[in-house]
Amino acid sequence: MRRGLIARSLTELPDAVFDARLKRVREAMQRAQLDALIVYTNNTRPAGVSWLAGFVPYWSEALLVVPREGATYLVAALSFRVKSWIERVSRLGEVLHTPRIGLKAAQQIAAVKSDAAVGIVDFDGLAAGIAADLYEGGPSLILCDASAMFAELRGKADPAEVALAQKAAEIAHRALAAAPGETLNAKIATVESAARDLGAEEAYIAAAPDLEKDSRFFRVEGEAVLGKTFALRATVAYKGTWVRLVRSFCERQVAQQAAEQFAQAVAQLPDDSSFSGFRSWLVEGCRMAQPLDPLIGSRFGAAHAPKPGALVSVQGVLEVNGRQVPVGAPALLGDKGEAASLLVDPLFD
Amino acid sequence: MLTDERRQKLSAALRQAGIEHLVLYGNAWQGDYLRYGSDFGILEGHGLALISASGDVELFLDSATDAERAEQEVPDIKVSFTPNIASAVGARLDRVANSRIAAAPRKFLPRWLTDPSRSFKLEDATAIVDKLLMRKSAGEVAAVRRAAQIADEAYGEFIRAVRPGRKQFEIVADIEAHLRRRGCPDNFMIIGSGGKDVFGMAPPSERRIAPGDLVTTELTPAVQGYFAQICRTLVVGKATEAQRRAFAVYVEALEAGIAAVRPGVCAADVAKAENDVFRKHGLGEYTTSQWTRVRGHGMGMFADSKPHILEDVETVLEPGMTLIVHPNTYHPDAGYIVLGDAILVTESGVEVLCKTPRELFEVAA
Repeated sequence: MRRGLIARSLTELPDAVFDARLKRVREAMQRAQLDALIVYTNNTRPAGVSWLAGFVPYWSEALLVVPREGATYLVAALSFRVKSWIERVSRLGEVLHTPRIGLKAAQQIAAVKSDAAVGIVDFDGLAAGIAADLYEGGPSLILCDASAMFAELRGKADPAEVALAQKAAEIAHRALAAAPGETLNAKIATVESAARDLGAEEAYIAAAPDLEKDSRFFRVEGEAVLGKTFALRATVAYKGTWVRLVRSFCERQVAQQAAEQFAQAVAQLPDDSSFSGFRSWLVEGCRMAQPLDPLIGSRFGAAHAPKPGALVSVQGVLEVNGRQVPVGAPALLGDKGEAASLLVDPLFD
Repeated sequence: MLTDERRQKLSAALRQAGIEHLVLYGNAWQGDYLRYGSDFGILEGHGLALISASGDVELFLDSATDAERAEQEVPDIKVSFTPNIASAVGARLDRVANSRIAAAPRKFLPRWLTDPSRSFKLEDATAIVDKLLMRKSAGEVAAVRRAAQIADEAYGEFIRAVRPGRKQFEIVADIEAHLRRRGCPDNFMIIGSGGKDVFGMAPPSERRIAPGDLVTTELTPAVQGYFAQICRTLVVGKATEAQRRAFAVYVEALEAGIAAVRPGVCAADVAKAENDVFRKHGLGEYTTSQWTRVRGHGMGMFADSKPHILEDVETVLEPGMTLIVHPNTYHPDAGYIVLGDAILVTESGVEVLCKTPRELFEVAA
């Protein structure tokens, strides 16, 4: 709940980008014989609606309704007072305000066609209260899960999203490059402040304060003692696109060796065999609405193998000269068999 | 300490209600129920905690990154990472399907868990957990009190950060950095700047601060997961007579609202006290939902907890409740103005937790 700059950019996200995405979605809806598609959004799961309309909620929840024909509209639990703000930062046909968003969305769809076939992204994960309201508002609507259809479209990045991820990666890199301060909190504050000043929509800085003890990251509350070697991880969002970047503060030679090994492993993705030498590793990316969904990793195998052309954020822990070294950066997977490429250098001067 | 106390209270409440297993849901927006039972402040993905009346807790998370964090931050409970937490929890509940199982907040649960075809039935325990969330122990109040102190300090920083030419998001960056330096990991903050063209607050934009602007903010830092809020308005330059007259209405309304707080009154009584001041000044229209959302709300493990301070909310105030009273709304002569203080309902009445003066602050133009 710590949003930074939220603003629409007509140069980074022109209407044509949303039109092209909606066209692909509507073609898929046609094939699936869906009359409407519903995509849920809140703080945690904003990446489906932001992809289609640019809207990122800072609070509360909403449903985006995509009719197969006609303008999209947002049914929002946010109050009427923020209507003009939503319209300013999004690309939407209409914004309707109501505390019972499921009821209103279903009524709107049913008013056009009472037995419409309605696909819902992540229907199983939709809040039970909203689902109950959908059934109440449109008792004859045919509700079905549209997750697979949507994930197929959402999983591959288009040029606009790649550019946003590149910008987010640059913000994270510049922020992590400057981490002065005596204490861990001072360093975290500097990194977060730099990311926000560079236009980050969200900045969450986690720390592994003493790599000799533990290489896992956590969110610092109060004070934490810095070890001789430590690491910071910046999770940065820029206009709906999220990346993670890790910086380990250790000997240059150790960091360089880790970065090289990491880059080699990332280049092979989605083949993950090169990560076998890592103590742990994780690949995250957007499938539907969670910005950084776990895709594959050492803890769980292949839950959802990333698609060719997907944007991912990769993290891993290597052992170099007996030291644990976390390393991580965002990458773009090859679309037609090319090697995956890192969006930013995981090594810092 | 606080964690043990909460778990004991939760177990006792479950036993009293005859509930054998409880499912708590949370995400980064509404994480209070989950945090109450698990002590984990979720940031990414969905989370479910499965709690037995005997006090066992298991936390299920669908974010691998958050699961790694949970293993360190709440090492005393079992953390399970799985991409599909609903089916993982469902598999556990299948084993106890013959017992009484409840959930809170049930309406937020993944739909799959409430499907009638499941072997188990989930009752709604939201009201049971709401009572625990609203009425706080001395330890919980201490955390809110500390958060209010940090909110006061952060508002001082806010006054220093507002200068003509700066963009809203740069000011918010300063405040968040200040809070991180203080070791405060979470804050809910919105901002507004301008004149009569501004109708509320929102996340920061690229709008630059200009001389004559009213600059509003709602700052809500958290300590150990407990939020406290402050709302204040400042003017860039010298306040006009119209701005001063308008602001005086909000001071009067806030004082009236706080004066109405004591054990036994309803949330509605507090809202009415605030709104009556606006009505007295011919501004009753600006107390409606077209212009304002709530006249205050509870504070605790969620920045916008129950009870909402509205004229139709009959929740009775009790000692140990922490609230913010804020008659925030639009004023036709000045624009959107906010003013609010965190308060504690005490045995004898009310204690104001925010110490920042109720002034229309002025900063150099």
